[in-house]
Amino acid sequence: MTNPSGSRTIMVVGGGISGITAAVEAAEAGFDVVLIEKTPTLGGRVAQMNRYFPKLCHPTCGLEINYQRIKKSKRISVYTMSTVAKVAGKTGGYTVTVKTKPRHVKPNCTACGDCAKVAETEVANPFNYGMNTVKAAYLPHGMAFPMRYVVDPSVAGTPEGEAIKAACTVGAVDLDQTEDSFDLQVGAIVWATGWRPYPAANLTAYRWSDLPNVVTNVEMERLASVDGPTKGKIVRPSDGAAPKTVALIQCAGSRDLNHLGYCSRICCLASMKHAAYVREQYADAQVDVYYIDLRAHDKLESFVQRLKRDPQVAFIKSKPSRIEAGENGNPVVCGENTLTREIYAKPYDLVVLATGMQPSVAEGEMPDLGGVDEYGFIFAEGEDISAGVAAGPLDVSMSVQSATAAACKAIRAVTTAH
Amino acid sequence: MTERKTGVYLCSGCGIGASVDMSKLETIAKTEFKLEPKSHACLCNDDGVGLIKGDIDGGVNQVVVAACSSRVMVDRFAFEPVMTLRADLREKTTWSHPAGDEDTQMLAEDYLRMALASAPKVKAPEPWVDGDYSQRIMVLGGGVTGLTAAAQAAALGHEVLLVERSDRLGGRALEASKRLPHTPPYAQPQDNDIESLLAAVKASPHVSVKMNAVVTRTAGMPGKFAVTFADESIEHVGAIIIATGWRPYDATKLGHLGYGASPKVVTNVQMEGMLKTGSVSAKAVAFIQCAGSRDPDHLPYCSSVCCATSLKQALELIEKDPGTSCYVIYEEMRTPGVAEELYRTAQKAGVIFIKGKVKGVGADLTVTVADELVGQEVPLKGLDLVVLATGMVPNSTNPDAEASDKGPEQLIGDVDPEAPIKVAGYAGEAPADYTKRAQCTPEGGPLLNLQYRQGPHLPVLHDGFADSHYICFPYETRRTGIYTAGPVRRPMDWSEAAEDAQGAVLKAVQAVRSASAGAALHPRVGDLGYPKINLNQCTKCRRCTVECPFGAIDEDEKEYPQVNPTRCRRCGTCMGACPVRTISFDNYSVEFLTSQIKTVKIPDEFSGKPRLLLIACENDAIPALDQAAIKRHTWSAHVRVLPVRCLGSVSLLCISDALSVGYDGVMLMGCKPGDDYQCHFVKGSAMAAERLSKVGETLKSMMLEPERVVQVEASIADSDRLPTVIDDFVAQITKIGFNPFKGF
Amino acid sequence: MSASPTPTGAYDLAFARWVYANVDGGDRMALCMQCGTCSGSCPIGAQMDHGPRKLFMMIRAGLKDQVLASDTIWNCVSCYNCVVRCPRKVPVTYILHDLATVALREGNAAAKASDNARFGSAFWWSAAKYGRTDERLVTAKYYWSFGLGGFIKRGMANQKIAMGMVKTKRMHIGMPHKVKGTGELAKILAKAAEIEARNHG
Ligand SMILES: Cc1cc2nc3c(=O)[nH]c(=O)nc-3n(C[C@H](O)[C@H](O)[C@H](O)COP(=O)(O)OP(=O)(O)OC[C@H]3O[C@@H](n4cnc5c(N)ncnc54)[C@H](O)[C@@H]3O)c2cc1C
Repeated sequence: MTNPSGSRTIMVVGGGISGITAAVEAAEAGFDVVLIEKTPTLGGRVAQMNRYFPKLCHPTCGLEINYQRIKKSKRISVYTMSTVAKVAGKTGGYTVTVKTKPRHVKPNCTACGDCAKVAETEVANPFNYGMNTVKAAYLPHGMAFPMRYVVDPSVAGTPEGEAIKAACTVGAVDLDQTEDSFDLQVGAIVWATGWRPYPAANLTAYRWSDLPNVVTNVEMERLASVDGPTKGKIVRPSDGAAPKTVALIQCAGSRDLNHLGYCSRICCLASMKHAAYVREQYADAQVDVYYIDLRAHDKLESFVQRLKRDPQVAFIKSKPSRIEAGENGNPVVCGENTLTREIYAKPYDLVVLATGMQPSVAEGEMPDLGGVDEYGFIFAEGEDISAGVAAGPLDVSMSVQSATAAACKAIRAVTTAH
Repeated sequence: MTERKTGVYLCSGCGIGASVDMSKLETIAKTEFKLEPKSHACLCNDDGVGLIKGDIDGGVNQVVVAACSSRVMVDRFAFEPVMTLRADLREKTTWSHPAGDEDTQMLAEDYLRMALASAPKVKAPEPWVDGDYSQRIMVLGGGVTGLTAAAQAAALGHEVLLVERSDRLGGRALEASKRLPHTPPYAQPQDNDIESLLAAVKASPHVSVKMNAVVTRTAGMPGKFAVTFADESIEHVGAIIIATGWRPYDATKLGHLGYGASPKVVTNVQMEGMLKTGSVSAKAVAFIQCAGSRDPDHLPYCSSVCCATSLKQALELIEKDPGTSCYVIYEEMRTPGVAEELYRTAQKAGVIFIKGKVKGVGADLTVTVADELVGQEVPLKGLDLVVLATGMVPNSTNPDAEASDKGPEQLIGDVDPEAPIKVAGYAGEAPADYTKRAQCTPEGGPLLNLQYRQGPHLPVLHDGFADSHYICFPYETRRTGIYTAGPVRRPMDWSEAAEDAQGAVLKAVQAVRSASAGAALHPRVGDLGYPKINLNQCTKCRRCTVECPFGAIDEDEKEYPQVNPTRCRRCGTCMGACPVRTISFDNYSVEFLTSQIKTVKIPDEFSGKPRLLLIACENDAIPALDQAAIKRHTWSAHVRVLPVRCLGSVSLLCISDALSVGYDGVMLMGCKPGDDYQCHFVKGSAMAAERLSKVGETLKSMMLEPERVVQVEASIADSDRLPTVIDDFVAQITKIGFNPFKGF
Repeated sequence: MSASPTPTGAYDLAFARWVYANVDGGDRMALCMQCGTCSGSCPIGAQMDHGPRKLFMMIRAGLKDQVLASDTIWNCVSCYNCVVRCPRKVPVTYILHDLATVALREGNAAAKASDNARFGSAFWWSAAKYGRTDERLVTAKYYWSFGLGGFIKRGMANQKIAMGMVKTKRMHIGMPHKVKGTGELAKILAKAAEIEARNHG
């Protein structure tokens, strides 16, 4: 073993709800953890969600508790803007090469916001999937953890960059930071790298790329969030009008051999949630849910039943064949109602595509792993330890369950590898 | 005890110094509290932290940091075992109120006073440690979940007591034919490998097995459970994993699907047995999905695994005899995740899927289906076997044990999963005809027969599963140190149950390790305080024993409350419940709160400045206010925010104290109670609401308007809304007028 | 090729299995999950009596006569929208066309009587005979399939259109166009028939 002192440390790759959980659960059992996250903040995809099904509670609530657990734990070190470039060794003695991107803000940032006051350049806001922009010096969002600003690399070397640097009274802005890489010795690795929304541009028949009022389910989450681009008002992107008719299209990519061969499990339920979002804001709105099979496991069935009781939410058993541009460019959803045989072409103010979850491995940027299936899931019983959606399309409570199990496996690996 | 030496540190960074007069703050510390404060321009930097550390080395044993919100820089200002108190001069002062303003200054001064006044009331807690703790983990149930849990707990170095009710280990897997696919390519049924799991458990020197064992009572607490069995043996364990699995829904209630009329109508469980023994000979088989599940007259939930199980059974039949005709009659095909592969395999193998409702099953096995896709009612004739995909009923009770008379009340699931949606302003009002769905609680007696004041049962959700109500915390339990795993928690298949077992093992390991250190578990992980009760003043009113969300307090023979510290989760609900303030924690108490309330300077009525107290839950309300401040939203500077662990910990005495010292109004701000509660301590905010409902009369008797005291629901995402809520309350109170007790 | 079996009752799978095994693309048809993408994608989905999705279910349901009598199998215009969109990669177009062939081969009366079958056979007659389609002859042959009365009635009704086409040189009068070497063509077609018989026999 190259470094016996590092061999009991557990590395968790990915700081979404799964990675956070794996990290705190392992730390609270008495193990040192390094948590590696690609973006500037922890939280992953759920931080970008408005509410959770079925309780319609806010994801930041659970994240806040978990952040408090991290803050109070002396055992967890967090590396943001970092990815894993290389893994060498085996259980009990891994050497992991971690690559970091420059944040241009040092850890002594107090999040006072003085830098943002002088920044002028606007950059696409990744937190809102690019639906709006932020200043080139920005706090990723109000619940960001770590609570630290980011300076966009585009202003490094410009007078604006210098002004940003000068504005910081604690000297936290460092425009000279560059990409860096370093090695860590760890005994076990938990892959909790999560997912990305399946690219809607691939679903050409659904016209997401050219019809502004066709959005994806993750964009819908941002539209409904108070800290989203519309401050939580669900509107028609083309003109900001209140939508009166909304279509929610299931299996946009999932269960489709041309796209994702598996079922993403959560989309039907996420759409129930979206129906509730719309109905919460608009008493007169009509929501139509298009589906092949409504999938709601265990007690979540009740959530579907709750929405079915709403007379303004309709369920149409049909996978729409295409979306066409209607009047004012508004989307017209076309297809066959399989229960009535009606061929419909129905105009909507807003169409939400329930795009599925695609594992991050499928995106690349990861070292070669054992135990990866054809879709890119690092399946639970394979050689590598995985947690959450990295392991399979799971909802949050299943992800947390899998992450707790992953922490258990990692602990077993570092304690028995000697 | 060593003398208290409190160091006070004031930070002027992040705009604080430009907004408030720091020298006045220093004067307050000096003159009102006789403490020597030190000011710093950026207390969180190495220099500032070094300053504090140096003082600690010099004897300071309590630190008060007046800087940013207590939610940030936690690690920088952590000096354990020295306790740190925080006064928020940044988020809730400077960032949310105008700079250089007289009212902002008063606000800053009061926040400093609150921290300094409360400092003497708390101390770094001494943990409760008492004698021996068991590190042993008991696993109840020897099926796949229990076997996996036992093997894993042993692998982590813990002794395991595996308890099985029957005379053999293996559970339902013993009677099962093949397994659902669990490794790529997920397309075919896989071998039943229960034997290798059994072998692993049997080979482990750390697992002792108790067969034919029925638990008759369980007393004690994490680290110190004493479990008695029917043979009168007693075992001591530190934590318990319940892996009692499931039982099939009683098929005799499925007469409408032909069960009982013909031996050729069988359940999916019987079918597994038949496949295993190879005793099926059928040429045409119908599988009826949702036999009992998703049916409000039977099981309202989806049993999750029946669809895939029917596919697997059909595939096994076809593998044996490719000529077999298999029909799956379904309403929604549910093969989530990669189980979609199995669906496709079954289709390729020629299994026919008919979407529709079964209208009846005749004596000759003719199944009549309203075939929705073809659009006609069809009789399926010539079948020689009908398999009912009956759902799972959780073994959250012991069906063999008598229902305990103390039992039922404790089994009531406290949330109705189908209650009308109530998110702020949901446009679809509850349909008039909504009636609460009947609960489907499994029959039988308690599994562990817990010797808890709050009854012998494990709390269950509305559907009878012993699951957590929290999405983010599926292992949250209301009986600390006792975790459920596998289908007793949620319908799940073998692979998921094995994963779940490992999660539960980790929680059990944490529980035994924390118990012996006297440290709290989630969510106040590591908190060493615990409730101390001064029995001399106790009136035996039992409110603490009844209200504790975790059943941590029992009553002794003399009916005095008796705390079981390792069951406690430190929410303080007992403290809030106690009418005579006899319950306190080393690091949290009624005095800790009231000292803060009373130290605030209340301007007289001629100043035109009202004072309002905002008692805010630190879990959601405080972060929401912080976010409002980050966005530089502002709210009235007449309000003093008092963070609390949970609204459940707020005693009515805090409110009466506030009114008697002259506050004009009190607002309690906390998480959502009731169905879909979001309270982090289950029912703290509900208890607060209940207590508050009784306050109106008292206020009236004091000649005070009941509107002066309100409780509002806040979620963590309410940062845009809360400032208005606060300002509206201030406006309302201003309209009512000043508190007549001011200056009394 | 053996004739398809006739089911004895609802969901007697004899016909479905035969289709899975013998119809072009039939094996993939087993994967149809009834989502409706095909019928919804079809430019004339609304005009079809059942549409492909329902037709596939009817095959499983054992409704052989209705399937073979369906106009769905005749109305496919081979645009392939359904094929590229089908989430289960079912080659809907092939299946429909081959079912049409089956229907004719098995002498299904409705199939034989269908407009498209008549037109198709007229088209084929011209193509096989001359190597080209001659608008006038194809139309005449098609009209003739309705008998003398039908021929006259349809001819009269479409007289104006025909005149217009002649005027704009869309239809010619005189000897039918044909390719060189019709003898070669006949040989090619005979060979093709032989191969087909071998593959499907
Ligand atoms: C529209 C929609 C709505 C949903 N709503 C709900 C809901 O209401 N309730 C529910 O239970 N579930 C819901 N889900 C599912 C939920 O989003 C997932 O269960 C959850 O995000 C899983 O968390 P995770 O940590 O596994 O993955 P992620 O959230 O994706 O986190 C992975 C993290 O890893 C990081 N990462 C990726 N690659 C690397 C790398 N190479 N190195 C370092 N870091 C890396 C990412 O930046 C990210 O922070 C929804 C899903 C969708 C699509």
